[in-house]
Amino acid sequence: MRINWKPFVLSLAVLLILFPFVYLVFLSLASEWRFPDVWPSYLGLRNWQTVFDSETGLLQSFLSSLVISLSVAVFSTASGFLISKSVFYHPKRKTLTLLAYFPYILSPVVFAACLSFFFLKMGLFGNMTGVVVAQFIIAFPYALLFFSSFWNEKVKNYEDLVATLGGNKWQAYTKVLLPLAKGLILICFFQTFLISWFEYGLTSIIGIGKVQTLTIKVFLFIKEANYYYGALSCCLLIFPPVVLLYFNKRYVFKKLV
Amino acid sequence: MSLRIKKANIGVLFFILIGIVPFAAAFIYALLYSFGVTGVANDGFTLKFWETVIASGSFFKSLGFSVLIALVAVVISVGGALWITLKFKEQLESRFFSFIIYLPLAIPGIVTGFFTFQLFSKGGFLARISHKLGFITEASQFPDLVNDGLAFGIILSFIALIMPFFILLFLNVYKNERVEELSILAQSLGASANQIAKKIFLPILIKKTWVLIVLYFIFLLGAYEVPLILGQESPQMLSVLIIQEIKQYDLDKISEGYVVAVLYTIIVSVTAIALFLPKRKTAYAN
Repeated sequence: MRINWKPFVLSLAVLLILFPFVYLVFLSLASEWRFPDVWPSYLGLRNWQTVFDSETGLLQSFLSSLVISLSVAVFSTASGFLISKSVFYHPKRKTLTLLAYFPYILSPVVFAACLSFFFLKMGLFGNMTGVVVAQFIIAFPYALLFFSSFWNEKVKNYEDLVATLGGNKWQAYTKVLLPLAKGLILICFFQTFLISWFEYGLTSIIGIGKVQTLTIKVFLFIKEANYYYGALSCCLLIFPPVVLLYFNKRYVFKKLV
Repeated sequence: MSLRIKKANIGVLFFILIGIVPFAAAFIYALLYSFGVTGVANDGFTLKFWETVIASGSFFKSLGFSVLIALVAVVISVGGALWITLKFKEQLESRFFSFIIYLPLAIPGIVTGFFTFQLFSKGGFLARISHKLGFITEASQFPDLVNDGLAFGIILSFIALIMPFFILLFLNVYKNERVEELSILAQSLGASANQIAKKIFLPILIKKTWVLIVLYFIFLLGAYEVPLILGQESPQMLSVLIIQEIKQYDLDKISEGYVVAVLYTIIVSVTAIALFLPKRKTAYAN
């Protein structure tokens, strides 16, 4: 008799996927959990209460992460959309696209280390504006390449049609191009939001520890061996993307092919 | 007409300003620093930093180590994702699974690194369970699974990070490229399940996604957070090595860090050119 092994593998996969979420929430509720105890001696909401205290600064980190990520997402999506039109209708578009890939695939932290001199000179070192600008520089090529598939002959023809019918540029954008690209713009917005939300290396270099986003907090707590607060910060970091996923998974994962 | 051209050029100008100038500036700065032209303690052109880096071999060791880790992680992730797609595509279509398989994408690298450490370190969750079950009596008896020589923790984290993405990608290609229909056609022509997997499933999925597979290899090559948490003192992965050298108080080391940064940037850029350079079609291209 052949045993159907698929349900076992699938159940295991579900357990493996859910385990990190459960474990991190569990760890964030624990304290005084010493080796070799399998169960912590304290389990409760004590750590979570500190989120609202000024002591750990977690609420502040959450808010600065939110402000930074929203700014990066707005700027990079808007500029990516508008500029990608000129790039992908340009006769040299293939070369320009190739150039956009360089900053896209370079490690952000190495990029930041090489750029830090210029940020220092421009007074953008160790402040939130600097972090937004630096993250924008890495999110912009992503947004630009993201819209490459949008600008095609059909869209161009629509635009020409608007002009033929007496519409101006503004009308072409508001009545045709933006409604057509609405779905893509929304996905790009969430994608660039997540690029910024998850960013650590570049933020640590340009922010020099003064701009404490959630990822920076996670690492600080790991360094202090304060794993309970580390797990708490991880929960705050994961929570928004999961909510986003729950409402609509296509925001988090764009159609790639 | 001329006004239109001008407007289009403004867009390209902005693209150059945001997309190309920072990259070029960063590269030139690192290059000048590596040759001692700029930098606090440097006083003119010298090749000594390049000679030191090449002679010490730390770069090549780190590069080899990074390539190996990225390669193993990509091969296992792609292989695993292909297998899961092939075997479980119907089940993964269900409402429950189509939500659940997206969940890992909500976890960033730094959290994966932290979680792997919590699970596999000597005082971690698995060590506690092993102690409870009587496999070990002291924490030190638990095997080195993080900050270890074989980079087990790093590879595991990388797989956890990218395999879900590849599963979603392959499921997407499977649907869009109508692999199902092609498989049924092959089957009706007498092909076996094995032949369908080898002649239809694998070639279509790999051919459609190989650029992304290479891109993910490059991303892992430059990964920072995971090896920072789970790596060992030496050899280190490239990004960790570069940042460690650049942040040193020893001013010579900073220049050497920039040498490694320049070498890394060149490798990545050459790969980008090989991947995305517009290719001229040959007369008999198929």
